[in-house]
Amino acid sequence: MIMLDRYSGIAPKGDLVLLRRLGEKLSGKRFLHVNSTRAGGGVAEILQRMIPILLELGLDARWEVIGGDERFFEITKKFHNAIQGTIEEITPEMQQYHHEVNRVNAGTLDLDADAVLIHDPQPIPLIEYRKTGKWIWRCHIDMSNPYPAVWDYLRQYCEKYDASVFSVAKFAQTMPIDEFIITPSIDPISDKNRDLTADEIRETVERLQIPTDRPIVLQVSRFDTFKDPIGVIKAYRMAKKYNDCILILAGSPATDDPEGEKVLRQVQEYAVDDPDIRILLLPPFSDKDINALQRVATVVIQKSLKEGFGLTVSETMWKGKPVIGGATGGIPLQITHGVTGFLVHSVEGAAFRIRQLLNNPEMALRMGKNAREYVRKNFLITRQIRDYLSVWYFMENKGRSVLEI
Amino acid sequence: MMDETTPFEFRQCVSIHKSTGKKAANLRELRDVIAEASEESIVHHNYQYFQKGRMREYTNDFAEWVGESLGEKALAEHLSNIDPYDFKEIGALRNEMLGVLDDYIVRVPDPKGAMPGDEFYFNETVTLIFPVGLRARNLAEFFAAIKYIEEDCIYYHFYEARIRLGRGNDDFSRWFEDTLGEKDLAGKIRAIDPLMYTVEQSRNFIAGLVEETVRRDMEVVK
Repeated sequence: MIMLDRYSGIAPKGDLVLLRRLGEKLSGKRFLHVNSTRAGGGVAEILQRMIPILLELGLDARWEVIGGDERFFEITKKFHNAIQGTIEEITPEMQQYHHEVNRVNAGTLDLDADAVLIHDPQPIPLIEYRKTGKWIWRCHIDMSNPYPAVWDYLRQYCEKYDASVFSVAKFAQTMPIDEFIITPSIDPISDKNRDLTADEIRETVERLQIPTDRPIVLQVSRFDTFKDPIGVIKAYRMAKKYNDCILILAGSPATDDPEGEKVLRQVQEYAVDDPDIRILLLPPFSDKDINALQRVATVVIQKSLKEGFGLTVSETMWKGKPVIGGATGGIPLQITHGVTGFLVHSVEGAAFRIRQLLNNPEMALRMGKNAREYVRKNFLITRQIRDYLSVWYFMENKGRSVLEI
Repeated sequence: MMDETTPFEFRQCVSIHKSTGKKAANLRELRDVIAEASEESIVHHNYQYFQKGRMREYTNDFAEWVGESLGEKALAEHLSNIDPYDFKEIGALRNEMLGVLDDYIVRVPDPKGAMPGDEFYFNETVTLIFPVGLRARNLAEFFAAIKYIEEDCIYYHFYEARIRLGRGNDDFSRWFEDTLGEKDLAGKIRAIDPLMYTVEQSRNFIAGLVEETVRRDMEVVK
């Protein structure tokens, strides 16, 4: 138990005890995860960390990635946007192509397992090619108000699963299958979140040429309209009239997001006149740099308009900093307004809270301490693995709502 | 010499939430869904409120939503004043809540609804119970343990136990009285009203009372 031991003294002890018990119960069983990208975005990131822990717990855990061409990912991006409420034109041909690419993938992937967790809509049709085991659809996206035409199409697959998992209760839909609520998580010992030395932070700051003579306002996210990077710039400009500061927008491209480049160009054009706005397009796996940026920032913002969960919020909170977050998706689950950060509903709200944190470092420190403890109890990877294995264990003991283990 | 008493074995519970797919956007919908919601859902939103570990103003999820999202403070107070441990059957608790809601809806026939996205979502839970690998054989060991066990462990023995054992009973006071013969301490622990405190505050009260008893027992000269 070398890897799990590294979480002792960090993660709640009860989570570690239960994980080991569940590991004993499910030892040797095959646990397959399938998604659509190896790099970029929260799902790939957590799977990279989760698989080794599952293996160490004694499970035969695997992670498969479906392949697809540009057309496939353009279609699934439209699905993604439509699930988050945008009106998109989805044609029967698109649906057929989505299914067809999954059919081809089903022919090459090994889908034989005791439990299969399918992540997000891209691989959802794989259920048509199930062989054995319990199949669970894991939706990471904000489904609180999906565009009906797309949800009607996806629902036909979803209802064939044994169960589904959503990040937030309000994302769940009325369906005839069990719908579990499991929030995602961060890994406290990964490069993205572990403690950094002063030298490590300095190295990043110097290499990325980040000025440190003024307070830094930071947003870390993909270049995606739902993350509202333009709104962040507007809020920064309002705050800058009162407090001189610089703005960093940092993000990595994801292979399953063809719109990223377009949004990046819009942001670059919008910021072109201001040398105090730094737009950093970091390569995948820039985890240590993001960690350093979150630690060096004075104010961290996640001004999303729609959000699956917004794990960058928990990442920052883990570093003892309060976050200014858009009151959407899973962000209100992480931020208790006024206690662990601030929830905002507008550009003006974001600007006001930036000023408030810049002017009250003691308050920021106090809220940051609450924030770290809240993340420790609720949003660490050990809790998420515990929940996945618990759901699987309950599915093996169907019909019972209380189990002693 | 070590007492040959039955040790107290600390256990913990972990609950995974399940959506029922039902939601309410206003008081009438809340009333109608409560009327038909599963018993598991009523249990979750009342009894398991304290398991969530946040400092809150009310004593159950319904009261919190009514107060915070609908702004109906008087009704929130009334719902908060319902002690779920007063009821032996979930049906009776449900009827009490329905009575309060019906009465309010008659008096305030057109209350405002929730903002879109801020509706009340009805959930249930599945719960795993497991020993945390810690035992106390006497009060001194218990005192050492209660200081650092997880909040979920205290929740299981001090809050959840009341559902299993009935009103006013919890695992701690039962062990103090039945196994250690510490009747006074058990009585003081039972006098703590769990609805008035967070789990962390309850921990501090229990630890304080146990420490007081351990100190008294240690004193050679009274």
